[in-house]
Amino acid sequence: MSTFKVVVSNIQQITPLIKQFSFIREDGASFPPFSGGSHVVVAMNINGRLHRNPYSLMGSPQAPDAYHIAVRLQEHSRGGSAYLHHEVKVGSQLEITYPNNLFALDKRARKHLLVAGGIGITPFMSQIDDLIRTKANYELHYAYRSQDHAAFTSALKEKCAERVHVYVESEGLSIDLKALLSKQPLGTHVYVCGPNAMVVALIETARSLGWPENHIHSEQFLAPPSGEPFKVKLAKSNIEVHVPAEMSMLEAIEAAGVDAPYSCRGGACGRCELEVIRTDGVLVHQDHYLSEADKAAGKKIMPCVSRAKCQSLEINL
Amino acid sequence: MERGYWIRSKPVYSTLVWQQQANAHIVLVEGSAGGLAAMKLFQQMHPEHPTKVLYARNPVVQQDLSIPLSKVVPDALLMFETTEESLVAFEAHLSSACMGLRIYVAGSERFIWQMAQMADKYGIDDSDIIKELVGTLARPIYCVHCKTISYEAHTNIKKCDGCGKQLFVRDHFSRRLGAYMGLMVDAEDPGQIPSIEEIYP
Repeated sequence: MSTFKVVVSNIQQITPLIKQFSFIREDGASFPPFSGGSHVVVAMNINGRLHRNPYSLMGSPQAPDAYHIAVRLQEHSRGGSAYLHHEVKVGSQLEITYPNNLFALDKRARKHLLVAGGIGITPFMSQIDDLIRTKANYELHYAYRSQDHAAFTSALKEKCAERVHVYVESEGLSIDLKALLSKQPLGTHVYVCGPNAMVVALIETARSLGWPENHIHSEQFLAPPSGEPFKVKLAKSNIEVHVPAEMSMLEAIEAAGVDAPYSCRGGACGRCELEVIRTDGVLVHQDHYLSEADKAAGKKIMPCVSRAKCQSLEINL
Repeated sequence: MERGYWIRSKPVYSTLVWQQQANAHIVLVEGSAGGLAAMKLFQQMHPEHPTKVLYARNPVVQQDLSIPLSKVVPDALLMFETTEESLVAFEAHLSSACMGLRIYVAGSERFIWQMAQMADKYGIDDSDIIKELVGTLARPIYCVHCKTISYEAHTNIKKCDGCGKQLFVRDHFSRRLGAYMGLMVDAEDPGQIPSIEEIYP
């Protein structure tokens, strides 16, 4: 995977829990433009173990002077967000992948309806630049817990004016999804990024109101959930890898020195799909990529977030 | 025709069935066969959401279904003599419609794709329209030589309305144009026209 070596050029405390990091390239060259909604994967060496987390790129996609990401300190951080918040300083060196977009705007839309919850605002921070530049019709609905969590609200109000609608839960405001999705003009596309419950509720509400699937877009990066340890046998490499409870299968495979494909590392893109040869237990699918039928068939697994409850699992790698 | 041969661009049509997840419905039908498709739809049920039926009586109505339709859906039925009038009413409906409107079309391929092109203008993909081919298999033909679209191709070879070339009617279909591709059949051997047969009655 192609990567950039970057230096942290600026860190801003956006809210008590969110920091924004700006990167410039170590070789001084400029970054390539990207499309709104793109993300990069940030690699971090934490106590000898390589962590790779996906983060949405913010700011102008057209002429990026620097790349910017916003990171929320997770309560149960596996290491990545805590490391970025506590260890990374201006001048720290990191490695990031080229941008990739799993949450692109659909250019055929007659209106774009953006719905963000909490830190889920980040992919919209670049999409909005694209929407303003192309003079597209859009609305942003942004919900968060309290004023303490109000990331980028004033910047958004300045940029989007009456197109941004803010809902502060502590003030008793929440998005009435049914009301919102019932009155959108024909040809609207909806995009949602936020906590799982919000994403699921929006998708279900849109479907029940008759929105076609290709008008509903969502992005959710999952942190690899921990689970029971198990062993995975790599058929082509002919080695056996132990997957500890707190490590993902993909991380364990990489730690064993085997190059496995990946892109988003959050169960969304499908790039890391592996073929299951056999298992003496059950697969625990946790991704958003495989269809229900594929999950039931048990022939494929996404090792970035999914695991197995078994003694051993054999995969074609 | 070669067995097992199928071109992906060739549309596959289904039968009109109500979509349960919806906000509103609009049913666009053409001629007596289309009218019957609408009658069959209301045999399934009367949906709870706001529903409109746009009935274009063209081209030649063998059996006028406007009376039974007006008995079945008295408030919902709008009648038109031509597809063009029906299209104007459809556009008026689309311009004020909200997401969740389900679109059903039954008629000839010409009619179906005229409606689909209008829906496309309002951001709705043809894959989200329920389409039933009824009445005739006549194909709209796009001449790759002069770009004219000729209608009512009932035969394997049809003379282009624009340039007069004899066109071989292919299975390649353009959703944007709403027509099948037509290629000069005797380009390599001028005057050698294979026998012309009615295969799209």
